[in-house]
Amino acid sequence: MDETDMTKTLTPDTLTPEQKAAVIDLLYRLADDSIVMGHRNSEWTGIAPILEDDIAFSSTAQDKMGHAHAFYGLLHELGEPDPDKLAFLRDAKDFRCASLVALSHIPAETDGETPELRNNPTRNRLVTFGDWSISLIRQFLFVEADVMRMHALETSAYAPLAAVARKIRGELKYHLMYAESMLRHLATGTDEGRKKMQLALNVVYPHALGLFEPTQHDKALAAAGIAPAETQLRDDWIEHASPLLAAAGLRQPTNVEPVFGGRKGRHGEELEALLADMQKVFRLEPATTW
Amino acid sequence: MSDTQWSVFEVFHQPVRGEPHVHVGSVHAPDAETAILMAKEQFARRQACVNIWVVAAEAITATPYEDADIFEHGTDKSYREAFGYETTKRAKAVGDSADL
Repeated sequence: MDETDMTKTLTPDTLTPEQKAAVIDLLYRLADDSIVMGHRNSEWTGIAPILEDDIAFSSTAQDKMGHAHAFYGLLHELGEPDPDKLAFLRDAKDFRCASLVALSHIPAETDGETPELRNNPTRNRLVTFGDWSISLIRQFLFVEADVMRMHALETSAYAPLAAVARKIRGELKYHLMYAESMLRHLATGTDEGRKKMQLALNVVYPHALGLFEPTQHDKALAAAGIAPAETQLRDDWIEHASPLLAAAGLRQPTNVEPVFGGRKGRHGEELEALLADMQKVFRLEPATTW
Repeated sequence: MSDTQWSVFEVFHQPVRGEPHVHVGSVHAPDAETAILMAKEQFARRQACVNIWVVAAEAITATPYEDADIFEHGTDKSYREAFGYETTKRAKAVGDSADL
């Protein structure tokens, strides 16, 4: 093995200050995407349309929570606060997730009364107005990107991140199997199913492009071999997802304006409402031992 | 009354490669591929598992319960049991069953 290979591997101690800032930003993006995605998918627990999908979705959500915990752990190793504080005590403006993961399962501008289902009002709304096709298409688009990104990070020059990426490969493999299978089944089923999936795709796609929002750290990360450029990932993702969407009888939106801002902490009400829900219990007693 | 559910698939789960697959339950699914995806989470989320089989319930042939008497022994067949071999006591005495 030649010397350049050895010096290329980076650890918390060997990062330059510029690289450290870049890695910290990357880890926040990975962690925040994971925890918000996990929380969103967990909202269907107990009330999803199909029993077996309910359990699969819930397990997948737990996987993402585990990934978030691992990434927050890497942040703590670099001097950021501990994972509990990062997950439960930061406000929306400090989160660097893409808008895709915070999208509600309920279509925007949905109005109306929900019947009293003896659940809480939030779950009443989800049971009554929740759009499973939004959930599934979002899952598909996210998982395709997630698998691509984490596969590239398995050979990251930053050793702790590469280790986490390798460890979660099996879980991501299952997420991919599930997402691709569901897409194929639904979109090639009935006309009604395909129509619903197409409508959901049109709504969700601009947000999916936001997963690849360029950051000021892209150059440093690529130069150090820590992570591929966002534009590279985006192009690979589009190239990979296109034939799958086409095979499923869906039209991939073109000339789309991506929804950016998430990576810089610019979020809408949806993330604030989600965090209020997710962080509520912890914030009641932050100093408690769990 | 017709069943409007998806087909039933029986699920078998192998804890360790080389050991027998064990029946753990069933799932409803439109096809075998989906049954596998569902079974992975229904039945393999807690215990160790390296392999799953799913079998369409209609592919299984079973004996009827009213014929359960074919398994009963009308006369004493206890000679089929191995109760005469006291290997455990001897193994303990030696300290290692490999020395027997």
